[in-house]
Amino acid sequence: MSVGASNPEYVNARVRSRRASLFADEDYRKLIRMGPSGIARFMEESEYEREINELGARFSGVDLIEYALNRNLAKHFQDLLDWSDGRLYDLIARYLRKFDVWNLKTIIRGIYTETDPEEIRTDLIMAGELDEATIDRLLEVDEIEDAIEVLNRTIYYEPLTEAYEEFEETGALVPLENALDREFYEHLLDDLSRGPIAEPQEGPEAKYVEFLQAEIDFRNARNALRLARSGADLDPASYYIEGGVLFDQSELSRLVNDYDALVDHIGENKRYGKRLSGAMDRLRNADSLIQFEHALDAALLEYADTLSSIYPASISAVLSYILAKEREVENIRAIARGREVGLEESEIEEELVIL
Amino acid sequence: MALELGPELADVALQAEEVSGPTLENEGAAALAVGLAALAAGYAERGIGAAAVGAMAEDDDMFVPGLIMTVLPETLVILALVVVFIV
Repeated sequence: MSVGASNPEYVNARVRSRRASLFADEDYRKLIRMGPSGIARFMEESEYEREINELGARFSGVDLIEYALNRNLAKHFQDLLDWSDGRLYDLIARYLRKFDVWNLKTIIRGIYTETDPEEIRTDLIMAGELDEATIDRLLEVDEIEDAIEVLNRTIYYEPLTEAYEEFEETGALVPLENALDREFYEHLLDDLSRGPIAEPQEGPEAKYVEFLQAEIDFRNARNALRLARSGADLDPASYYIEGGVLFDQSELSRLVNDYDALVDHIGENKRYGKRLSGAMDRLRNADSLIQFEHALDAALLEYADTLSSIYPASISAVLSYILAKEREVENIRAIARGREVGLEESEIEEELVIL
Repeated sequence: MALELGPELADVALQAEEVSGPTLENEGAAALAVGLAALAAGYAERGIGAAAVGAMAEDDDMFVPGLIMTVLPETLVILALVVVFIV
């Protein structure tokens, strides 16, 4: 955690300017009608010019788009971390650790399948808090155990060491990945919310906490629905993430066995019920889990939109930008991949998350 | 003891007041007003300046608007300066 005064004014001004250069809905409509090379050309004339030019010689087609998107995302988020100081840095870094978790998962998977380090590197998104030196050292090691040793003194060391024993027994990567995910989500609310009484009641941090809780809740809901749907015989408790307001652990374990009760429970929640009502109906009638997950994403994006217009000098506008950017990258990727496999325009449109 | 000394102490205190007069003359108060206004303007400019530099870093065209916005709180000091001419 860094100390000192934070500088929300400076970061906000820059972030707002960058938010303005995100793609608009009409741009997506244009992109849907293009092929991969068309999308790449369109990106070359926008924000992504530098990345496309840098990577153009090495990759082509959808890979080029994908790597350019990742690199652009990493650049912008790394900038955010560079600009911000003090409390603001702390709050931003907390959320961007998600990319650390992604990178660590990718590296562990890479080591597990003995992939070439250079190939692993292309899949990393260097937007997190871990510095390049650590990542380099992680890429050099050959054993997962050594990789965990490199992470000594980061927050991931302990949970990974614990999970490693289970990994040795079963040989499956799932415990390691769960450990990383849970570590990330549980640190999200560190010292922001210690139970309902100590939470900030109003102001930007209250909104931030509310958003993070929504993210945790939706993650839990998603996992629970998937478990309930697949009927897999897994212990739901091991997937449960603390900190949300929608479920507690025993509730979740009970509800996973009863799909209808689970859906009702989500629908009746007073914080999300209204927001998700449309999606809940669709979930009850047709059983499209993907549609529901998109609805969850859209609900998060709606949160982000409110965040951008209140409390100008605080974390909220920054968080809103981070989410909007992530969504943009996901949407462009979905379009490119969709075109590649020859999906219909309307099908791709359903995959996009736009308000 | 304290009771006996009481009246004499009051005398001393009264004398001292007669000599020094009010602690703050009108001119002094006006100077203080300007100083406080300048401090307030500085505080206001801190945030605006930071935001303006941020905007300029993203877009060079923002230099002039940024500059104007940054010096707007200076009006506080100018208004406070009026006090100096009134007293």
